[in-house]
Amino acid sequence: MKIVHKIILANTFNILLIALTGFFAYENLNLLLTKLRYVEIADDLNASFLEMRLSEKNYFLYRDASALNDIQNKLNQSKEAMVSAKDNIVRAIGARNYQQLESSTHAYLQVISSADSKAPASDELQSHIREAGQKLREFSDHITKLERTNVNRIIAESRTGLFTSLFLILFSALGVSQLISGRILASLKEIEKVAHAISEGDFNKMNTRVHAKEPGLLMKTLSGMKWFSFFHSNPSDELGSVMKAINSMSEDLKKHEELIIQSKKLASIGILTAGVAHELGNPLNNISMMAQAYSELYDDLSREDRLDYMNKVDEETDRIKDIVKNLLDFSKPKKPNRNEAHINEVVKKSLKLVQNMISISNIEINIYLEDGLPVVFIDINQIQEVLINLITNAIQAATSGDELSIATRLGADADHVEIEVKDTGKGIPPEFLPHVFDPFFTTKEASGTGLGLFVSYGIIQNHQGNIRVHSELGMGTCFTIELPAYKKKETRG
Amino acid sequence: MSGHKIIVIDDENIVGKMIKATFEKDGYHVETFLSAAPALDRLKEESFDVIITDLKMKGIDGMEVLRIVKKESPATKVIMITAFASMDSAIEAVRGKVDDFFPKPFKIKDLKACIERLLSQ
Repeated sequence: MKIVHKIILANTFNILLIALTGFFAYENLNLLLTKLRYVEIADDLNASFLEMRLSEKNYFLYRDASALNDIQNKLNQSKEAMVSAKDNIVRAIGARNYQQLESSTHAYLQVISSADSKAPASDELQSHIREAGQKLREFSDHITKLERTNVNRIIAESRTGLFTSLFLILFSALGVSQLISGRILASLKEIEKVAHAISEGDFNKMNTRVHAKEPGLLMKTLSGMKWFSFFHSNPSDELGSVMKAINSMSEDLKKHEELIIQSKKLASIGILTAGVAHELGNPLNNISMMAQAYSELYDDLSREDRLDYMNKVDEETDRIKDIVKNLLDFSKPKKPNRNEAHINEVVKKSLKLVQNMISISNIEINIYLEDGLPVVFIDINQIQEVLINLITNAIQAATSGDELSIATRLGADADHVEIEVKDTGKGIPPEFLPHVFDPFFTTKEASGTGLGLFVSYGIIQNHQGNIRVHSELGMGTCFTIELPAYKKKETRG
Repeated sequence: MSGHKIIVIDDENIVGKMIKATFEKDGYHVETFLSAAPALDRLKEESFDVIITDLKMKGIDGMEVLRIVKKESPATKVIMITAFASMDSAIEAVRGKVDDFFPKPFKIKDLKACIERLLSQ
């Protein structure tokens, strides 16, 4: 269900609840008013009935003839009052009670009418009158008491009803606000996270089912109730659609990134071709010149000279062979043969391989390897190649007395390890810095192929890592490699 | 023919060495340099007939050498050699009024013929 539907549904529920509460409150108040009106009428009637009983007593004791007339008048008045307020009374106490009240009044009136105002009442008549009067008053009293109790009951019930409704409305409104704040904010957070990941170049699909990281107390309570799955996220709602849109965008970006990488590769092939032409041109020219000079000067050359020429030809061939090898490494990047490894061990192994170069360079080497680093999933040989390349570069840039430090540490997000190779050598001029990873870029005169850092860059990229350089002229250069910490498949969830 | 003075500037030391070996046999005086700066210093001391310079070098490159030499000593011939064998650099070199241009690898006898032609003008 879409969130807008959920909100509409929840709001409709709230409005219905409010309307229902209002309706019942109104009905209860109406009923209450009816009952109170009856109680008012009943009070008047009861007062009349009491006076009638007093007049009755006067009649019996003093044979006061006017007393009978009084009773008759009062009864007629009461009857009239009852008839005029019949609707109210019927509504308050029901038709049966009304009829009984009316019939009791009628019976009393009949008995009173049968008494002769001139003659003294017989004992039998006296008891009839007393009985009818008492019956009428008792019944009226009883009904009045009953109605007073009813009024109290209605008030109490209304109070409970109103309180319950208020609680339900609050509960439902809180639910809606939790739905809005919890679900939507969580989704926005998730979207923000994904957008950030995309901006970092991670085009992995995100989960379309979003869960609030810190659900509110209400949500926590509700999550235990099955029927409240209403408030849970749903891949088919708006946020699900946004997630789907972002996923498809991310897929497109991934495709485009691949295209860009492809075109970058093509562009670098262009640079590469020009570079190859230049790089191969020099040793080829050297061989060619030596061969020509060898033929031309053959008779003038000593045996040593001739051997020297041929050795140099061989050296130049080696130069070509190295260029071709590096080229092959670049054009056909070997699929990394990755295994779990401890980066500190790889650093130590690489250092052993360049030990000889370090000892003759007369530079000071400092090693800081952090303990307890997460395992990395790497091709040990390739990473070793990168490290040796960086260390060799640093040694070549350094002069006697310079320092070289190699350090490993946990990355800022604790999801990657960092390896730092830092020298206090001459540094790289700022205008060269953006090109250090370009193919055939070299500052090492004729001794470098300009492919070392380029190949290293490719290797680190293939490991989903990152390599960056910081350099200050005269202060030294620092290369930092980031490699993702290895997460085993089982724990990836 | 003898006595003509040539300077060779190339960071590949074999180039200078081979030109020196083959040209001195024919009576040229050849001095070789691995970069442009000391060669230009040498030019200030003495005049040379021909400068053979590599195009792509660290520091002062071949185009800069050409500009300075043509300004300081217009009679000196400048021949550019380069392993950067694209047409763009050839056109650029010619536009800069270079006397001749040799993409690497080249034939020593072609270079000799070119120098002979330039010097006989």
